[in-house]
Amino acid sequence: MTAPQTGRAATGYEHLAPLFVELAETTDDDRRHAELREQLVTGHVPLAEHIAARFANRGVAREDLVQVATLGLINAVDRFQPDRGSDFLSFAVPTIMGEVRRHFRDASWSMHVPRRLKGVARFEALEHLLQAQRLGRAPTPSELANHLGLSLEQVFEGLEAGNAYHSMSLDEALSPDAGSEPLGDTLGVQDPALDGVEYHESLRPLIEQLPERERTILTLRFFKHMTQTQIAERVGVSQMHVSRLLTKTLEQLREGLLAEPEAE
Amino acid sequence: MSATDEVELRIGATLTNLPIIRSLAASIAMRADFDLDSIADLKLAVDEACSTLITKAAPGSALGCCFTVAGDEIRFTVTVAAASGDAPDTSSFGWQVLTTLTDDASAWVEGNGQPGHHQAHIELTKRRIAG
Repeated sequence: MTAPQTGRAATGYEHLAPLFVELAETTDDDRRHAELREQLVTGHVPLAEHIAARFANRGVAREDLVQVATLGLINAVDRFQPDRGSDFLSFAVPTIMGEVRRHFRDASWSMHVPRRLKGVARFEALEHLLQAQRLGRAPTPSELANHLGLSLEQVFEGLEAGNAYHSMSLDEALSPDAGSEPLGDTLGVQDPALDGVEYHESLRPLIEQLPERERTILTLRFFKHMTQTQIAERVGVSQMHVSRLLTKTLEQLREGLLAEPEAE
Repeated sequence: MSATDEVELRIGATLTNLPIIRSLAASIAMRADFDLDSIADLKLAVDEACSTLITKAAPGSALGCCFTVAGDEIRFTVTVAAASGDAPDTSSFGWQVLTTLTDDASAWVEGNGQPGHHQAHIELTKRRIAG
């Protein structure tokens, strides 16, 4: 494996170590501080990418993982105290992983909400419970069962079903091999109805500019004719959220169409 | 320890089998009423341990996986016939991942003196979070 070695072996990040000492000596409003911070974050990005790669192919989109890991890296750079005697890597790896794990938890939660728990009241109760638990730790299946008035078997069933339809980015490569097609390219055919869409030519570039999630939701709603609830289940957010995103996206598209009258 | 607390799985040492082992891990932790974070951690750790051994496995060999639920902990041991006598590298990045996700992790290799007869092992433990 090509993992960077920790411990005594060379890490490839040694040259950055003196910058931490310098960073600790500058104050936040110093211009040099911002420069050093930037250099340290940029210099360690491969570490964040490495950790993200470690958790790839487990149901969370790769680019999301890299983003989350980078966030963890920034936190680590900000919180690291070189005078404590430990090296940055042994501090940063758990910090970055903490961020990635939290993301896995949250992401798998949003996707694991069992269909039968989706009744509004129950869903609210679940969210409430999760919120309350955020201070301590995650709930256990028996706590969920108690709180939702379901049997343990029903909760297990729900959690297991959730595992089965883990949502995956359509753009994620199907296998780690280079040249593997993204999932999206293997699904479906060009919808002939698409050609009939008004402003097709001018709409398309606008749709292509949308963030991936917004684009997916839009496609599922208007070209695959899924309901908002079905989309919510597929994408892993609440139906309310789908509704908000759709409203916002449509607004954006309308504005875009008006702003570019020269587009055919 | 009674056998009723154990679950064993023997499965081909290939990466494509990882999801099966992973979902077994999740199912066991879920039914032991571990909190959802710990379930997720155990899944990732089992994945990591098994991928480490799969890369060391002799061609055509099988992974021997064993889960033991005892009181407030789940112990997972995985064994494979290894291609070489080198122990899994505990200074590697993957090992750091493993130790972050679990409460205990160890790795070792046994041989019976004959070349080509090595068994590589990884054992890890995940404890229930109090409360």
